[in-house]
Amino acid sequence: MSAFLQVLRVNTKKEFIEMKRYLPNTLSLLATFYIIFLALFFGIQVVGDPAEASSNTQYIIVNYVFWYFAMMTLQSTGGAITMEAMRGTLEQLYMSPVSAWRILLARVFGMVAIHLSIMIVLIFSSMLTTGEWLHLNVGAIIPILLLTIISMIGVSFIIAGISVIFKQVDAFLQILQFILMAFAFVPLSVAPYLVFAPFVKGVDMMRHVMIHGYTLGDFTWVDYSWLVGNGIFYAIVGVIVYRSCERLAMNKGLLGHY
Amino acid sequence: METIIEVEGIRKGYKKRKSKEEFIAVDDISFSVRKGEIVGLLGPNGAGKTTTIKSICGLLVPDQGSIKINGYDSVKERNKALRHISAVLEGNRNVYWRLSVEENLEYFSGNRGMRKKESKERIDQLLELFRLEDKRSEIVNNLSRGMQQKLAIAVALMANTDVILLDEPTLGLDVETSYEVRSLLKHIAEQEGKTIIISTHDMAVVQDLCKRTVIINSGKVIADENVQHLLKLFETSAYEIQLKETLTEEQLTKLHHQFPIFNLHDLTLEVSLEHEEAIYQIMNILSLNQTGIETINRTQVNFEQVFRRLVKEEAVS
Repeated sequence: MSAFLQVLRVNTKKEFIEMKRYLPNTLSLLATFYIIFLALFFGIQVVGDPAEASSNTQYIIVNYVFWYFAMMTLQSTGGAITMEAMRGTLEQLYMSPVSAWRILLARVFGMVAIHLSIMIVLIFSSMLTTGEWLHLNVGAIIPILLLTIISMIGVSFIIAGISVIFKQVDAFLQILQFILMAFAFVPLSVAPYLVFAPFVKGVDMMRHVMIHGYTLGDFTWVDYSWLVGNGIFYAIVGVIVYRSCERLAMNKGLLGHY
Repeated sequence: METIIEVEGIRKGYKKRKSKEEFIAVDDISFSVRKGEIVGLLGPNGAGKTTTIKSICGLLVPDQGSIKINGYDSVKERNKALRHISAVLEGNRNVYWRLSVEENLEYFSGNRGMRKKESKERIDQLLELFRLEDKRSEIVNNLSRGMQQKLAIAVALMANTDVILLDEPTLGLDVETSYEVRSLLKHIAEQEGKTIIISTHDMAVVQDLCKRTVIINSGKVIADENVQHLLKLFETSAYEIQLKETLTEEQLTKLHHQFPIFNLHDLTLEVSLEHEEAIYQIMNILSLNQTGIETINRTQVNFEQVFRRLVKEEAVS
C-alpha cells in the first residue's frame, strides 16, 4: 500500500506538471469544448421547442459535461500507453516492481482529478452562459460520481490493454467518442437496455440529481445495485482484460514497440 | 563470488507475419553473472541480444528456460526479481523530455515505491556523481545528448538495485562524453559494487570496462570468456602483410580455402593464424605469382578484431 501511495504521489504530480507545461494545450482543449457546447446550445434555441428550452438546456449541460469527462477518462490510459511507447518510456514503466496496472491506475487518478477540475469549470461556464442553474447537491453528486467513475476507469483499462498490443489506436478512439456520446446523451427511459453499458446508470442518476433536484434518499436500492454492480463489473473486467493483454504483449514481445 | 543472474536454456521464437514461419531469436542460451562483475553482452545485429536483454528485464517471456535475478524467477516472481534490476534500454529516450532532471529522478524512483525523503537524498548523491547539480531544474529537452544519456543512467541508479543493464550506453555520444560515461560506469561498479551488464557495439567500451564477455550469434552463445584471456588468445596469431601487387584469383581462392578468416583491403592483407607456422603457407600462396612483400607485422589485437573473428569463425563453421 505504501508503495502504491508513492506511485500515486509521483504520477499525480507528473500529470499536474505536464498540464502546466502544456498549458496552452489544456486551455485550447477547454475552449474547444466550450465552443462545441455553445454550438449545441444555440442549435437547440433555434430548432428546439421554446416551451421546453429551459429543460433541454439543462439536459445538454449535464449530458455534455459527462460526455467530455467520460471521453477524457476513457482515453487517458490508452493515450498514455501510446504516448509512452512513442517516447520510449513505456518499458521503464514495466520495469517497476510495482505492477504496471497499478502505475496506470495512479496515472488515471491524476488525470481524473485534472479533468474533474476542467469539468467543474465547464459546468459553471455553461450555466453562466445559458442562465440555467442546476441543482448542485454536493452530498448527492459526489458518491454517485465516484461510483460512476469506477466503471469509466474499468473501460479505460480495456482500452489500455488494446493499446498495449496495437499501440496505434487513434482511429478506434475517434469512433469511441460517438459511442460515448450515445451513452451520455440517451436517457435510460428511452433505451433501458443501456443500463448494462458502462456509466450510463450513473449519468442517468446524475441527471436526476442535477436537473430534477433528487437527493440520495430519492433513489431505490435497485438504482444503487445497478450503479454499484455496473462499477464493480467494469472495474474487474477492465483489469482482467488489461492484464491478459499485458501478458500477451510480453509473450509476443510487443511491449515498447510502436 | 555469489551468482546474481542465472540464465538457463532460454529459447524464444517469433512467428513471421506473412509466412507464419517461426523465427528463433534465441536458442538455448545459458550464462550466469556473478555479483560485482561487469559483463559485455555482444553480438552482431539480429543475433538475439535484445531478446536476451528484454527477457532478463522481465519484459519478454521466454518460450523455454528460466532467468533468475538474485534467486527470483523473472516470470513467476517478476515483481520480486525487478526489485534487483534496473535498466537503460533506449538511452536518452528512457526519460521524459518535458520534465526537469530532478523531476525525472523523483518520478522514476517514486514509481518503484521509493519515499520522498529517501529519493531526495539519492537524487543529491547522483546529481553530484554525474556532475548535473547545476542542471537540476533544467528541462531534459534543453540538455545535450550526453547529459540526457547521463540522466538516463542516473535514473537507472536511483533505485539502488544490485544489477544495472545498459543497452548501448555510449551510442551517439562524442568521444569525450563517451569516455566520461565509461569512467562513471567504472566508478559505479567499483565504488557501489554494482553488477553491470552492457550490450554494445562499441568494442572500446568492452575492452575498457568489461571483465567478461558473452558473445551471441544466431541466437546462440558462441563465447563466454574473460576479455583479457580472449585478447591473449588471439594476440599471438594476428599478422598484417603489406603487399606490392594485387593478388590473382587463384591466390584468393587458395587463401579462402586455407584461411577462411582474412581481410584484404587494397594491398593490406590481415590474417589470423591458428599457429605461427602457418605463415609459411601464406608465403607459399604469395609465391605462386611472385607477389612481392613490402612488410610483415605482427599486429596488436584489439577487441573488435577478436569479436569479428569469433563471429566469422562461427559463421564459417
